[in-house]
Amino acid sequence: MRILLVEDDATLAEGLARALRAESFAVDVAGNGEDGAHLGATERYDAAVLDLGLPGKDGVAVLREWRAEGRDLPVLILTARDGWSEKVAGFKAGADDYLTKPFRVEEVVMRLRALVRRAAGHAGAVVTCGRLAFDAQLGTFELDGLPLKLTALEWRVLSVLMLRREVVVDRGELIERVYEGDAEVDSNSVEVIIGRLRKKIGATMIETVRGRGYRVTAGAA
Amino acid sequence: MRLPRSLAGRLLAVSTVTTVAALVFAAFAIGHVLERFVIRGLDQQLDAKVAMLSRALDRDGMLDRERIVDLPAFDEPGRGWGWRVESARGTWTGGDVIDARRPFRPDHRRGPSRSGAVPGEGVTDAGEPVHTRAVTVPTAAGDAIVVAGGPRRLATAPLREAMLPLLGSLGILGLGLALAITAQLRFGLRPLRALQAALADVRAGRVRRVPEDQPDELAPLAVELNALVDQNEAQLEHARRHVANLAHGLKTPLAALSVKLAEDGRDPDGSLRAMVADLDGRVRHHLGRARAAAPGGRRHARTVLAPAVEGLVAVMRGIHADRAVAVTVDLGSDLALAADAQDVDEMLGNLLDNAWRHARSMVRIGAHRAGPTIAIAIEDDGPGLSERLIEEALIPGRRLDERGNGHGFGLPIARELVELNGGTIGLGRAGIGGLRAAVTLPAHGGDC
Repeated sequence: MRILLVEDDATLAEGLARALRAESFAVDVAGNGEDGAHLGATERYDAAVLDLGLPGKDGVAVLREWRAEGRDLPVLILTARDGWSEKVAGFKAGADDYLTKPFRVEEVVMRLRALVRRAAGHAGAVVTCGRLAFDAQLGTFELDGLPLKLTALEWRVLSVLMLRREVVVDRGELIERVYEGDAEVDSNSVEVIIGRLRKKIGATMIETVRGRGYRVTAGAA
Repeated sequence: MRLPRSLAGRLLAVSTVTTVAALVFAAFAIGHVLERFVIRGLDQQLDAKVAMLSRALDRDGMLDRERIVDLPAFDEPGRGWGWRVESARGTWTGGDVIDARRPFRPDHRRGPSRSGAVPGEGVTDAGEPVHTRAVTVPTAAGDAIVVAGGPRRLATAPLREAMLPLLGSLGILGLGLALAITAQLRFGLRPLRALQAALADVRAGRVRRVPEDQPDELAPLAVELNALVDQNEAQLEHARRHVANLAHGLKTPLAALSVKLAEDGRDPDGSLRAMVADLDGRVRHHLGRARAAAPGGRRHARTVLAPAVEGLVAVMRGIHADRAVAVTVDLGSDLALAADAQDVDEMLGNLLDNAWRHARSMVRIGAHRAGPTIAIAIEDDGPGLSERLIEEALIPGRRLDERGNGHGFGLPIARELVELNGGTIGLGRAGIGGLRAAVTLPAHGGDC
């Protein structure tokens, strides 16, 4: 899961990015409105965390721009402005959720997970596929009811595939949703991760669709 | 002299002094004219006598008694009529003798009349005041003086008779003027009282500015007052924005601090994060206060209820997306509150947030017009509050709900804003089981 964090306060941005990465998210940080607007409009993200009081371009303007361009990524507004009128304005501009500063990191994580899960069309917290269960709210995987231990990259790949279980996820899209914007991506690194995952959850759970991508399926088991 | 402190007093003093002076002057002037008028009759009789005596003087200054014809009034001695002729040859008198020790004094100030006679005043032997007329007749032996006198009372009696009604009329005139002045003061100073009332309305927030459509003398004052009101409002707004900026400015570093503290091992017992939460609580409190202190004209503002509720419901659905809460909105048509849009958002936002937080499955929002007010009810089907907790819920700074992100501050803020906007708020048990928050707020166009 890849998140765009648009926040001008460097200390906060850095701290929050670190905290989100610790929860296995891939995080790109933009320090101003223009950069944020550009990244959100050109890159593929599962969700954005958007500050409102940004230098250059205001958060609400960035959000309106995205929505006008048809970018429907879930957006969590994270701002010091805690008036209800400001919240109404934020939602009218197309926000999906709103959190005021200061906040608990857990709250941001929970809300982001919920946004991503709902955007993938899952009303309930737990997504299951055969023996595999993904609690999209807690971010945990279980295989046959037992906790599954994954690295951050493995978690990202599997969560993307699980949220779209039984659907082929394009390889390029998978790479985009797994790696941060400035990461050095080896051409076959996704294959390596898929290989490791197959060892952990069983080879048949992840299907390679030649020339297209991968899919998590219960059917082939 | 110390001037009276009241404007009415000053105006009254000045007009009283001028009116009294005018009346006194009028009394004297009219009296004088009247006196001259009544004395003219007496003068004519005396002038006839003087002319006749002058003709009786011969060239040498001797009076020819044969040529004296007594005029009727001069026949009766003791009634103040008399005459005297003085020349180098002798002195002749008739009728009452004018006191020799107090001879007549020609009143030259008045000057000779058309007949050439000089008027004067004197007394008879008996001491009766007389009015005299005198001429100087040139003779060979020098100038002879011919004087005739008549009783002064002939002039003063009608004068006194005329003066009494005259003074009475002047008195009535003075009284009328006094009444007119009083009425004028009441009427003339009325715009001043109206301006005072308008200013009181501004202070009470019933109107935003004093009307500038004033009498010429007050119009500049009204303009200045409005400029002062505007300046005051601008300064308040500036200070409010400053506090808001300060509070908002603190929130980002607080957020950064809280994120850092959340990292492993930095705050093992959570006490530092509790301090951050406390700081945040204080900042929120003061932000709420700053918002509540938003400059006046609250009752002049107009906010249509339906779109405000719609916007807030969209927010609630977003921030409480994982709570499957069904909402029923039943607002009477065209309800508009006499409150600022931001205030309405704050009041209802806090109450709706509270309802969403505690609802099991349902929130109900209803509103209807009730006379000059609009009654709004927000109900949820959650656990509700006990009587004791209801009491506490509205006390500033008290948080009943520790689950959320400091949102427990919402109820007291809502209460403060409702009261600032001239409304009331009450908590109770909802028909659907949970808490019912009943708010009444002045309707726009309700009573003003």
